[in-house]
Amino acid sequence: MALAQVHGVVLSGVQGALVRVEVEVASGLPSVGVVGLPDASVSESRWRARSAIGAIGAAWPNQRVTINLSPAEVRKIGAGLDLPIAVGVLLAHGQLPGADVSGTAFIGELGLDGRLRRTRGALAGALAARAMGLSRVVVPTECAGEVARVSGVGVVLARDLAQVVSVLLGADPGDQPSAAALEEDRGSDPVDLADVRGHDHARFALEVAAAGGHHVAMVGPPGVGKTMLAERLPGLLPDLDDDDALDVAAIHAVAGVRRPPNAFHRPPFEAPHHSASAASVLGSVHGSRVAPGAVTLAHRGLLFLDEAPEFARPVLEGLRQPLESGRLRLSRSGWSGSLPARFQLVVAANPCPCGLRIGAGRGCSCPPAALRRYSARLSGPLLDRIDVRLVVTRPTGAELASTREQESSVAVRERVRAARERSRRRLDGLPWQANAEVPAGELRRRWPLPGPPAALLRDAELRGGNLRGPDRVLRMSWTLADLAGRAAPDREDVARALSLRGGAVLP
Amino acid sequence: MTTSEVHPRADADARMALIELAHCVEPADAVVGRLVQRAGPLEVVDRIRRGGAGKRLGEGLRARLADSGAPSAEARATAIGARIVTRVDREWPRQLHDLGAAAPFAIWVLGAADLRLTLLRSVAMVGARACTGYGELIARTWSAALAECSWTVVSGGAFGIDAAAHRGALAADGVTACILAGGVDMPYPRAHEALLARIADEGLLVSESPLGIEVRRQRFLSRNRLIAALTRATVVVEAAERSGTMATARAATEMARPLMAVPGPVTSPASAGCHRMIGEGEAALVTSADDIMGLLDLGRSQASTNPAPRANRDALSSAERRLLDAFPARGAATAERLVSSSGLPASAVWAGVGVLASAGWITEDPAGWRLVRDRPPPQPS
Repeated sequence: MALAQVHGVVLSGVQGALVRVEVEVASGLPSVGVVGLPDASVSESRWRARSAIGAIGAAWPNQRVTINLSPAEVRKIGAGLDLPIAVGVLLAHGQLPGADVSGTAFIGELGLDGRLRRTRGALAGALAARAMGLSRVVVPTECAGEVARVSGVGVVLARDLAQVVSVLLGADPGDQPSAAALEEDRGSDPVDLADVRGHDHARFALEVAAAGGHHVAMVGPPGVGKTMLAERLPGLLPDLDDDDALDVAAIHAVAGVRRPPNAFHRPPFEAPHHSASAASVLGSVHGSRVAPGAVTLAHRGLLFLDEAPEFARPVLEGLRQPLESGRLRLSRSGWSGSLPARFQLVVAANPCPCGLRIGAGRGCSCPPAALRRYSARLSGPLLDRIDVRLVVTRPTGAELASTREQESSVAVRERVRAARERSRRRLDGLPWQANAEVPAGELRRRWPLPGPPAALLRDAELRGGNLRGPDRVLRMSWTLADLAGRAAPDREDVARALSLRGGAVLP
Repeated sequence: MTTSEVHPRADADARMALIELAHCVEPADAVVGRLVQRAGPLEVVDRIRRGGAGKRLGEGLRARLADSGAPSAEARATAIGARIVTRVDREWPRQLHDLGAAAPFAIWVLGAADLRLTLLRSVAMVGARACTGYGELIARTWSAALAECSWTVVSGGAFGIDAAAHRGALAADGVTACILAGGVDMPYPRAHEALLARIADEGLLVSESPLGIEVRRQRFLSRNRLIAALTRATVVVEAAERSGTMATARAATEMARPLMAVPGPVTSPASAGCHRMIGEGEAALVTSADDIMGLLDLGRSQASTNPAPRANRDALSSAERRLLDAFPARGAATAERLVSSSGLPASAVWAGVGVLASAGWITEDPAGWRLVRDRPPPQPS
């Protein structure tokens, strides 16, 4: 009787979970059994592993083989356990003398010819292995691009089972991934703020939103440039740090979404259409496989809802939880847990359902009830969390024709980076990362405003009577002070923040 | 100096007797209070010690006096940076005599400011714990305005209006005093531990309960009378019909202290108590912090600090006036157009429209910013 233990990885939600594959080869009638809550694809692993072992010229033990996947209560899905099962059988059968697999995780689906196939969640698996303190992870060569930037754990790329065997027996692994081969061209975004003509106030608003991490609401007639502006906000956000970038890459790999390789450190941008279902925006569970929604794909990046009031009510309601906690809980029969969903929200809306309610509102034929329904869609808990409220106006012909050189996204991004640095220093040791996350009460308590700006804010507060408005202005004032390099907001900062309240257009 | 200055020798014994009384007699006990008024604290303590001095001064008080640890009270207070102020001390707030027989014997104070001087110009701002956003807004902004005019804002440190009043005063760098129901070393409510610590740093924590005493129901009521007695006037921001706040209001009325109440929507249960007091003439209606100060300072002008629906043109800066003149008489102007028509730098225009909009001169709609005609600005929902 012989026993072997090998580490494998399965997906749980969008994260990897380490699984111990135990293989016992014992005397008895030849048979193969898999236990430990496998789903169908994992149960089929034994047949793929068996053929692959035969294909590379090794022998499948002609004995009773029992494969146990632990922890037993975690449901195992996907074909990524093929490789650890095959390695486990070879080890238990004594065909890998001297091989040490205690610090290695194996990920990969096997073909009947022994070749390793691309496997969903290779990066998530590698990150899980790293988090559990393993030193090495073996993944299929086809996943090279996905795992190229992982550091802190040795990555071995393998074309087939034969190569895995030879590496375990001490051979040189050969070509290995290198981040250098994937050097990013970080400078150029496909959409740049320099291309925008007019919209100076909107540019200012986007800079504030980027610097403070504030959510944004934009209201304006159709075709005025709301989408164009929203698409340029990601370009103003600073680069993600390596850990966040890896998390984002792992989520996108699990979802099967390919991002351009030079976007690795850039915050993701998700713009679901307003006809999108709750399942596609918030995520869904099929069996025990989780399909992350747009909110999770937008993790550490931007979620843009164009025509926001047209979204289905459950979608808008479902945004509350991730906006509050940065995570989205899913509870279905096959899987329950939470997915990361810390995104910056940008919503755009027309001033009314027909979009013509501009100025004196003469072309608009919307009945009052429809108007009320339309604005009620956005109000309440969702709008409460949105600090920057921008009214987007139509640029004049002269502004559009202007040849004035406009600032590029990269130039603004540099100011944004400096402002974030300043706010991070102020918030050091506190549970918030950006001004937008700090409750106004804490701002008032920890950093009281000096006299003149406080007086302006109080006057605005008493005149406006809008209870949450001053809180939003206060948060934006701090961001403006950070952008200007001031230790605290002055009267001018509060005044400029007041211009981003959305007036009477947004309740 | 951690203990308050004591009058020479003869008073030292009286002082100790008062501290002992504060330890063993429940707050606002008028029977013992009258006895002390007649016979003096030394005599009363002596009678309690000797026992057999009638039912009121019987075994219960004697046992409590023996267990109280009063002799070491001074040292324990000093150890946490607090001090004890008694009736015979110079720092004693004289207005407490208005409580008559129910006046406290001694008060524990945490905070650097002089208790008597701080409370000479003080206003109590009290109200519901379950307040509305409106009440909180009023409490915070008015309290800041009072603090800016160097009034001390006094409240009870509770959730809701009390906390908003303290925070408003702190935000304006003013002095605020919090009157606690338990000992000054027993922050209550616990959730306000940080707020109370900040009040101790920048203002005063005050209690008639000795150190280590936990809050009890009865002590809230006696604390409320203390809030009313220590201050020149009491302002009720929001109060339901039957509430602890109404007890404070009653205490203020009994001592003939000015009582003021802030009106709210007639449909709001949180303002029902205020409305009844105003309706029955018990409380004066106040609509701004200046109203409060106007009622207290006879010489003061009655101008309101509540901003008018539209700010005076003279109050605008020259850049803001220039921007205002750049607006078209009719129709809306985009922010970009205002930059070219006013000739001001863009950042000054962004700031200017922010100020003008909040001052009620202009309003924003999807076509841009426009002048507000003589109608009042639209009320936000």
